[in-house]
Amino acid sequence: MDPVKIIIDGKEVTTTKGKTVIQAAADAGVAIPHYCYHPKLSIAGNCRMCLVEIEKMPKLQIACNTQVAEGMGVLTQSPKVLAVRKAVLEFLLINHPVDCPICDQAGECQLQNYYMEHNREASRFEVGKQHDRKKTIFGPNVIFDGERCIKCTRCVRFCQEITKTDELAVINRGDHSTIALFNDSVLDNPLSANVVDICPVGALTDRDFRFKVRVWYLQKTPSVCPGCSTGCNISVETYQNRIARFKPRINEAVNSHWICDEGRYCFHELTGGERLTTPLIRQEGGLVPTTWENALHAVLAGLRSAKAAAGVLSGRNTNEEAFLFAKLMKKLAPGSPLEVCYQERELNETQKILMSPDRAPNFRGARDMGVGANGGYGSWLEKLLAGDFSAAYIVGEDLLGSNGAGERLRAALQKLSFLVVQDIRLSETAKLAHVVLPATHFGEKEGTYTNRKGRLQKLNAAVIAPEGALQDWQIFLRLLDLAEEKLSYSTPSQIFQALAEEVALYQGISYATIGDQGIQLGGGGVEQS
Amino acid sequence: MEKLLLRNIGIADSHTLAVYQSRGGYQSWEKVVRDMKPAELIDEVKASGLRGRGGAGFPTGMKWSFVPKDSPKPKYLVCNADESEPGTFKDRLLIEQDPHAIIEGTLIAAYGIQSHTAFIYIRGELVAGAKILERAVEEAARAGFIGKNIFGSGFDLDVILHRGAGAYICGEETALLSSLEGGRGWPKVKPPFPATHGLFGCPTVVNNVETLAALPWIIERGAAAYAAMGTEKSKGTKLFSVSGHISRPGVYEVEMGYPFKKFLEDDCGGVPNGRKLKGVIPGGGSMPVLRPEEIEKVNLDYESVQAAGSMLGSGGVIVMDETTCMVRAASNIARFYAHESCGQCSPCREGCHWMEKIFHRIEHGEGQAGDLDLVLNISGNIMGNTICPFGDAAAMPAAAFIKKYRAEFEAHIAEKRCTVRTE
Ligand SMILES: Cc1cc2nc3c(=O)[nH]c(=O)nc-3n(C[C@H](O)[C@H](O)[C@H](O)COP(=O)(O)O)c2cc1C
Ligand code: SF4
Ligand code: SF4
Ligand code: SF4
Ligand code: FES
Repeated sequence: MDPVKIIIDGKEVTTTKGKTVIQAAADAGVAIPHYCYHPKLSIAGNCRMCLVEIEKMPKLQIACNTQVAEGMGVLTQSPKVLAVRKAVLEFLLINHPVDCPICDQAGECQLQNYYMEHNREASRFEVGKQHDRKKTIFGPNVIFDGERCIKCTRCVRFCQEITKTDELAVINRGDHSTIALFNDSVLDNPLSANVVDICPVGALTDRDFRFKVRVWYLQKTPSVCPGCSTGCNISVETYQNRIARFKPRINEAVNSHWICDEGRYCFHELTGGERLTTPLIRQEGGLVPTTWENALHAVLAGLRSAKAAAGVLSGRNTNEEAFLFAKLMKKLAPGSPLEVCYQERELNETQKILMSPDRAPNFRGARDMGVGANGGYGSWLEKLLAGDFSAAYIVGEDLLGSNGAGERLRAALQKLSFLVVQDIRLSETAKLAHVVLPATHFGEKEGTYTNRKGRLQKLNAAVIAPEGALQDWQIFLRLLDLAEEKLSYSTPSQIFQALAEEVALYQGISYATIGDQGIQLGGGGVEQS
Repeated sequence: MEKLLLRNIGIADSHTLAVYQSRGGYQSWEKVVRDMKPAELIDEVKASGLRGRGGAGFPTGMKWSFVPKDSPKPKYLVCNADESEPGTFKDRLLIEQDPHAIIEGTLIAAYGIQSHTAFIYIRGELVAGAKILERAVEEAARAGFIGKNIFGSGFDLDVILHRGAGAYICGEETALLSSLEGGRGWPKVKPPFPATHGLFGCPTVVNNVETLAALPWIIERGAAAYAAMGTEKSKGTKLFSVSGHISRPGVYEVEMGYPFKKFLEDDCGGVPNGRKLKGVIPGGGSMPVLRPEEIEKVNLDYESVQAAGSMLGSGGVIVMDETTCMVRAASNIARFYAHESCGQCSPCREGCHWMEKIFHRIEHGEGQAGDLDLVLNISGNIMGNTICPFGDAAAMPAAAFIKKYRAEFEAHIAEKRCTVRTE
């Protein structure tokens, strides 16, 4: 990495050989406007928005394809540069419909943004715009508006270079050029919706999100995807206390700029349906509402008196919850086998680019906290089916809904002398319980997840849990309290501090330092079966 | 003047190997392969002063010397036979009547850069030319001039003819390479340049048909003989395709530096029907038009035409007499570029169509007051800001027509009709 000194707008900047001017400038905090350039895609050089002046070069040069050289003088604000930006924007807008009022991208559109920043003049174009298709469905998640497309080819390059699935192509020539599905393909690869994120304008929009909320109303909370143990960094974007969409957050150690479609839309399944807002207890004739007090006492009694209790956590429970759950079960039913729900499936090559084979984002963290190490979830389930357990505490997972064992599992659960289910909905599993405790989902809680590769990352609450439900960690704390285990913590951060003292791998880490990009735990990645 | 490039034109069956050989054909190739080292060949071509005839006039020997000698990748030589520049039809004449000269030149150039696969990329519309070239390649291969162990030298070389699909932009060398690779005919962003990252990412030289066809003569007679012709910086001879309002249209071979006016009047017979010259495009549709008074002292060489504010380009000379409506001419040219823009980069994709639409409305009596300055401004915003020189090729002539015939454009706008054409 040879250092190279260049001068950007009169300021000396040290960068490294091999970087382009746009990268070196970005590193130095100088944003050069651009459309086609994307740090993860090949250089297309087609939008011409990034033209800058390079001293001693007669023509303006595109910053995205110009390599830095020792002593190079770059001007990003000279009259020539400002004029060409204006010109390029004018060109891009002449055939553009400027239908911002009905465009989902409005508010996060680079055409709008740069226009306000660099042009702000009325168009001199009055000779009839080129028309194109307004709503072509490209795939299950993506829809295309050809009139808004600026032909930056980011979407095409994404499908060529990242997913290597080649669904998209440029067709036609000149100002008839447009993006289309290649042959009869469908844009349905496992990462397809990323093209919406990288499309700088409103040409590609998200079929799930579009027309639901204007983006400027969204509240954005940095968090971690609950879809699998890759632990992609996301922004959970909410409106009126509901999750409207997930967007990827850049983290080069985890997901780079991308998230998978399954993860992107998993919040529907994980948060939808009618919520439980009161604990339920089984009486003659079925489950009836009860108070938390009653419900928790019933749990305490039921687990204490069980001959052979067992517990299972969802892979979406946080480290803090797993830590408390392990403590709780040790207190109430020492020696009972605990597991975290973990199942694998086959992934194809494109899925493998990002996705992990499970749906348990924090299985690894839960195991670190002592939930697990019983030969795996599979054998735990076998034991349950074989009738080895007399009582079970099932947290956050609808075993009946997610497992093929169906009727056998139902029979096994029905045979239990005591079953407590803690979940957000009255799931099929919960319907068999003796006590049901209304809890919270990933979007409502704060805490930490440890991904498959051992990266500790922070989950943040994006929405507020419904009245009546309690955070899983709060439920565990209250049960511990009732069991006379006096713990002085009352927030996830305090619980984390405690686990950081007790769990070797987490020692020395402070909650505050985890930040938005996470921390790699010692030891690196391990493959889990 | 002795003809170099046209020496075989007009002779019966000049396209056949037998006739070509009877006139000394493939002896230069034999000499190169048997007796010359690649570096010697490159030096010889450098010494000849030969410059690319595809339009840009880049020194040919120097271009070859940019190909890395130590690259482990295969190297490619590509003959650019896509000739589509408006007003240009000189390569076509060579293709149809002297294909072996092109092939021999291609072989020599390939040897110079040590390429073992050469391509001839021919414009799709040249159907007859493609057949003739194909047959010629077969003949040359059968005679052992192409193939393995040529003249027992151990040097192998294949020649592959590839037909384009009819896009002007595929004459631009990097678009040609994209097309040859099987992709869209899209120019590539430079750097890197073809000399190091050309066809399939390998070192590649693209040369024009006429450039290559000059090589056998240069080898046969020596660089000095070639360099003895022409001017200080423009050596040898050049072909000109002359069309439009001219008494004797056709392809002419002229020594570089020949006076333009004399050429038009004496060689080509001047403007017919006693009419006056109104303007002439010296180097194909991409180049700025020149007014009669501007060509008074111009000579046909790169420097002189450039000094007059235009470019020698492809040597496509388009002559326009006083009955020509310059608005219509400009509109016609603008339509061509709008149609042929590959659409890849914003200024050219959008700007060419915009200019075309404005020219169109002026032509049809719907021009508006600010239109001329608007076109000049659009043209200025395209110039120099695009991926490939096509942008300049569209912008330059548009601006030149307006600047040089402004009064006529203004009259067209003011009177809402053509004031020149009488019909
Ligand atoms: C828009 C455009 C069209 C071109 N068309 C041709 C062409 O048809 N034939 C050609 O030889 N060169 C053409 N060129 C020039 C080529 O890019 C290239 O410079 C040339 O083939 C190099 O050969 P030379 O060095 O022998 O001149 C074109 C250039 C541009 C920008
Ligand atoms: S659809 Fe979007 S990403 Fe694709 S080329 Fe058009 S503007 Fe670019
Ligand atoms: S790969 Fe996993 S963590 Fe990443 S977005 Fe998909 S489901 Fe979420
Ligand atoms: S200048 Fe025109 S022809 Fe050349 S790459 Fe850009 S759009 Fe295509
Ligand atoms: S960002 Fe450089 S040309 Fe588009």
